[in-house]
Amino acid sequence: MEQGIFISSLLKLLGALPLTLEVWALSVVLGALVAAGVTWMRVSESKPMKLFARAYVAVFRGTPLLIQLFIVYYGLSSLPAVRASFAWLFLKSAFNCAILSLALCTAAYQAEIFRGALLAVPHGHVEAARACGMSRVLLFRRIIFPIALRHALPAYSTEMISMVKATALVSLITLWDVLSVALKIRNDTLVTYTPLLIAGAIYFAVNYAIGAGFLALERRLSPHLRPRPI
Amino acid sequence: MPAETPALTVEKLHKRFGAVEVLKGISLTANDGDVISILGSSGSGKSTFLRCINLLETPDDGVVTVAGETIKMRRRRDGSAEPADRRQVDRIRSELGMVFQSFNLWSHLTVIENLIEAPVHVQKRPKAECVEEAQALLAKVGMAERWNYYPAHLSGGQQQRAAIARALAMRPKVMLFDEPTSALDPELVGEVLRVMRSLADEGRTMLVVTHEMSFARDVSTRVMFLHQGLVEAEGPPHELFSGSTSDRFRQFISKERG
Amino acid sequence: MSGLSIFGFGPGGWGLALLQGAAMTLLVSACGLLIGGVLGALVAWARLSGAALAGAMGQAYAALFRGLPELLVVYLVYFGTSTLLTSAAHTVGYEGFVGVPSFFAGALAVGVISGAYQAEVFRGAYRAIAKGELEAAVSVGMNRWLMFRRIIAPQVLRFALPGLGNLWQVALKDSSLISVTGLTELMRISQVGAGSTHRPFAFYLGGAALYLIMTLISNQAFEMAEARATRGMRRATG
Repeated sequence: MEQGIFISSLLKLLGALPLTLEVWALSVVLGALVAAGVTWMRVSESKPMKLFARAYVAVFRGTPLLIQLFIVYYGLSSLPAVRASFAWLFLKSAFNCAILSLALCTAAYQAEIFRGALLAVPHGHVEAARACGMSRVLLFRRIIFPIALRHALPAYSTEMISMVKATALVSLITLWDVLSVALKIRNDTLVTYTPLLIAGAIYFAVNYAIGAGFLALERRLSPHLRPRPI
Repeated sequence: MPAETPALTVEKLHKRFGAVEVLKGISLTANDGDVISILGSSGSGKSTFLRCINLLETPDDGVVTVAGETIKMRRRRDGSAEPADRRQVDRIRSELGMVFQSFNLWSHLTVIENLIEAPVHVQKRPKAECVEEAQALLAKVGMAERWNYYPAHLSGGQQQRAAIARALAMRPKVMLFDEPTSALDPELVGEVLRVMRSLADEGRTMLVVTHEMSFARDVSTRVMFLHQGLVEAEGPPHELFSGSTSDRFRQFISKERG
Repeated sequence: MSGLSIFGFGPGGWGLALLQGAAMTLLVSACGLLIGGVLGALVAWARLSGAALAGAMGQAYAALFRGLPELLVVYLVYFGTSTLLTSAAHTVGYEGFVGVPSFFAGALAVGVISGAYQAEVFRGAYRAIAKGELEAAVSVGMNRWLMFRRIIAPQVLRFALPGLGNLWQVALKDSSLISVTGLTELMRISQVGAGSTHRPFAFYLGGAALYLIMTLISNQAFEMAEARATRGMRRATG
């Protein structure tokens, strides 16, 4: 392995990392907002809302992200109705299409995480809070949310890592993320493994950091789950 | 003595679960200092009755009045009842303290945080005052050294005593106990009953759904026996426990003893 | 051609091609899952056996393939196997490039990723077997192979079913990434159809619908299998 190629590949790939992280961060946050909405519909009293939420989750978890991405990027942009509308201002950018598609996909997974976390709040905790006269807002803010959050952290960590891996797909819709830069280096220099393995190392390092960060957060938030320090 | 407003009155409470009518018209008046034990076999509706008072269950019919304030109810379009004013319900709940069979301490908070949670956030009292009062209450129930423990690190009896202190921290007008010792190991029941007895001696108004006959007989000022949703027998303990006119009640206490 | 006739089965209709793509998807995913099953079982066994080196290697493999993007793994396996095969061919005197068929590379890629997750599923399933059952088998005089065949393996499969059902769904979706190697599975066919007819929305939507159908049928099948496999077992609920 030539040292020159190693260094130049590493620099180029690190240069693409900000784009990867941007796509990741924006789609995760947007996805969380959509997921909150879907979860709200899922736990609502209304049957049609419940049904819509369940269908949403089934569709976005039951189809490959790649095809969802292509539907948004290639599919929507081919429809005259879309090109003529205000949505086109948003959708004509590949970056925006990527964020939208990834967000819609992660929202389905995040909604299931939120749902599981809400179900994990013991009913007795809720009754005790209501018996004290807590309003619904207070109950959610002080009791339900903190406990659900702690339950959601492990699964949420896994989902955050999945999303980093998912960003690699945007290389197929003309965005210059870490993977597409690695493939370009391969095309230009005919060296296959150096750029791809460095790219792999970068992705791995990012995922490791995310996992470690969540673990630290879990530790901080759960002194009540560990044995009592003497 | 001028007539006082009763601490709590319940008039003709009805409650149905689906097709089954669990409460068929129960009434009760509790004056300040009354300690009323509510007895009955399972299915008699005693827990449901207690939970209707602070609207953890919604009664289908009847009137609940706490310290002179009546809880306003209204009918939905489908005929079922609901409270008319959520904020009134929240306010009245903050004047009633409930102790649950399964303690229900908030697991993510320490004991002292459990105690000050509602006083600070619901009653909006200053935190320092709530902490001071909480420490005094913990001392009263014998939990002073464990103020910064998490519920998971406490025994059942300790958790229940902490839960009683939490209810007391709200400065309630009436305390509601829903089978407070039923989930405890036998050797831990005593410490909780001792605390409850000291509260009764202080003159607190208490409604206690229980199976502990000793408490009903020795500590309460009145006993109410429910059978299949109706009040079968009611009166001071010495009346009921020594030769009650109700056959069912005599059957009931002999079964409990055995 | 307009409307839904483009999906029809007549001349110029893509219905047959899409269904063939779906069949290819099922085939390559199944092969991938099987490969993953072998790898996962090996890693689980290595970790459960207590042997330090094997266990550590198993853990490293699992951690590695859970931290890499699936698309990257597809490329690495595709290029990697081709390189290996070409080098092997060179040693016997063949000149030039030997490509590995995309089916094998794709199934291997899916399998290698799936194995990393299946290891966890098997490990958890094994630990869920009540110790008492194993003690009973030993006390009756079963040797290790018999115990494995008659007690451990069936129980592990039973407990692993929910996890495996989920991983099957994952394999189905990961297989769409093999399209970059040119394999004519469903994603690739949708892509080709979209490009050829300039109707990307219709084709990608149609492809997605087919994936959804496969997913929903798989879910049903696994639920039925789980119900059959756990009949007679006591559960926490229900």
